[in-house]
Amino acid sequence: MTAYETVIGLEVHIELATNSKIFCSCTNGSDADPNTHVCPACCGMPGMLPVANREVINLGMTAGMMLNCDINRTTTFDKKSYYYPDLPASYQTTQWFAPVAVNGHVTIETPEGPKDIRIKQIHMEEDAGKLVHDNLTFTTLVDFNRTSVPLIEIVSQPDLRNADEVEAYLERLRTLLRFAKVSGARMEKGTMRADVNLSVRPAGSQELGVRTEMKNMASIAAIRRAIEFETARHIDAIENGTEELVQETRGWNDDAGTSFSMRTKETAGDYRYFPDPNIMPIVIDDEWFDRIKASLPQLPEEKLEHYMAEIGLSEYDASALTQSRAFCDCFEGAMAAGAAAKDAANWIITNCAGILNKRGMTSDELPVPGSALGQLIALVDGGKLSSANGKRLLETLFDVAERGEAIPEDIAAFAETEGLLNSSDTGELEAVVAAVIAADPETAQAYRDGREKALNPLFGACMQQLKGKCDTQVLRELLIAELNKG
Amino acid sequence: MDRETLVKLEQLNQLSLTSQEQDEVLAFFAAREADWEALAAIDTENIERMVHVRPMTNVLREDVASQPFDREDLLVQAPESMDGYWQVPQVL
Ligand SMILES: [Zn+2]
Repeated sequence: MTAYETVIGLEVHIELATNSKIFCSCTNGSDADPNTHVCPACCGMPGMLPVANREVINLGMTAGMMLNCDINRTTTFDKKSYYYPDLPASYQTTQWFAPVAVNGHVTIETPEGPKDIRIKQIHMEEDAGKLVHDNLTFTTLVDFNRTSVPLIEIVSQPDLRNADEVEAYLERLRTLLRFAKVSGARMEKGTMRADVNLSVRPAGSQELGVRTEMKNMASIAAIRRAIEFETARHIDAIENGTEELVQETRGWNDDAGTSFSMRTKETAGDYRYFPDPNIMPIVIDDEWFDRIKASLPQLPEEKLEHYMAEIGLSEYDASALTQSRAFCDCFEGAMAAGAAAKDAANWIITNCAGILNKRGMTSDELPVPGSALGQLIALVDGGKLSSANGKRLLETLFDVAERGEAIPEDIAAFAETEGLLNSSDTGELEAVVAAVIAADPETAQAYRDGREKALNPLFGACMQQLKGKCDTQVLRELLIAELNKG
Repeated sequence: MDRETLVKLEQLNQLSLTSQEQDEVLAFFAAREADWEALAAIDTENIERMVHVRPMTNVLREDVASQPFDREDLLVQAPESMDGYWQVPQVL
């Protein structure tokens, strides 16, 4: 019985997190009402001229550097011709002759140890629109909000051998691109989509078998199932002659667990790529190159090492923080604002993560900057804010961000206006203490008679009157002093 | 350019030319055949690819979003529209 080897290469499309589209200034936001983020340029009206978005080039370079690629110092855009209603200009502007980045690699962990997956190239391009079928009129409805949304396509060499490696590769890509703030890279949101190229050959053979491509796979679980199904289908065809394998694009029906033929793949020549004369070449000089290079983040594993060895966090805390670039930024920002490392880590891992979870947000969506968290922690440590009200304040900051407002610079002032700060007026505390003791003389007497636990209900009653806004240490001392007087 | 290539290009571009139109296009290309042959004869080995005819580079814009056009203004240009969508013959 022959042993077979599956050979897999991936083309991964990543939607870039820019404000505007790649060749026009329409808002990059394809979730809006249909055709509200469109203009004559991205609707393909004749005579409109594209102007490339500088930030897209920055992010393309960043992705290239994160994936150990060579950056093409002169990079150009080309037209890829095809006719479909989701592409109003009848061509897609992409990169064919001089993509922004080439010849990189990504290292993944496998049971046999680390393995480099080679990256053939990364090119920048525009996305296509969305088509909706209308059952009443038997027509197709077109939404151009997504046309010209910037993408990068990351093309790997056929170095992947099984579903585990594919999953490890996609996860590594996602981590690197999120850390570099290139994209949220969320498959469930459609900001990361993969085309899977797969062929099967006898193990040890150097020749590649007939290759099929499955387009727009939207979850890792579906990719795993599709790889399993296609591998079995190819082996069956080779061994038993059940069908003749042809190079083609196949769709994946995840509900049925089967792939199906879509159309024979147009060969590269049929796309008739040619240079886009409307977009001037982009020349990346040393200054630009160095600026992007200097902006690259530490890798998560470097941060983990740094947090443990130099900052002294536990492995648990360090790895919880380094799951997310936003967590790392918040942590480092809070420390820069004077918070102790352990405090900052706790507030993020416990309180911030709890609120994110409750609101169905991902860790990368943490809206509270480190400087704000650092000030909040200082207020709690300084006895100006109770820990319960600190959590309330944090929740309020999430609300501020959710309303699309800026997080206030001065957190103490904000806490003051929100009425969450502890009363610094000892006179008020003394009055409350006196009133509580007067209202419950029996419990007060019980305490004086040596029942220490009797302090708790009195303390609780004071806290209730003060609505939690006091330095608990100061309150406790005042209460004991007042009881001992009587 | 021969008729077979032309027919393939017609298919790719979703065009359908009459045989008279095909003759005109073929005649257009045939008249320039000699020019292309002359160009093709030039030895371009070891010559760097010309990137663009204009000596301009880095014509870029900053990443600032703006929305100067109304959907309704743009939909006027659509052959048919429905519920804010462009409407086209069924393709799905
Ligand atoms: Zn536009």
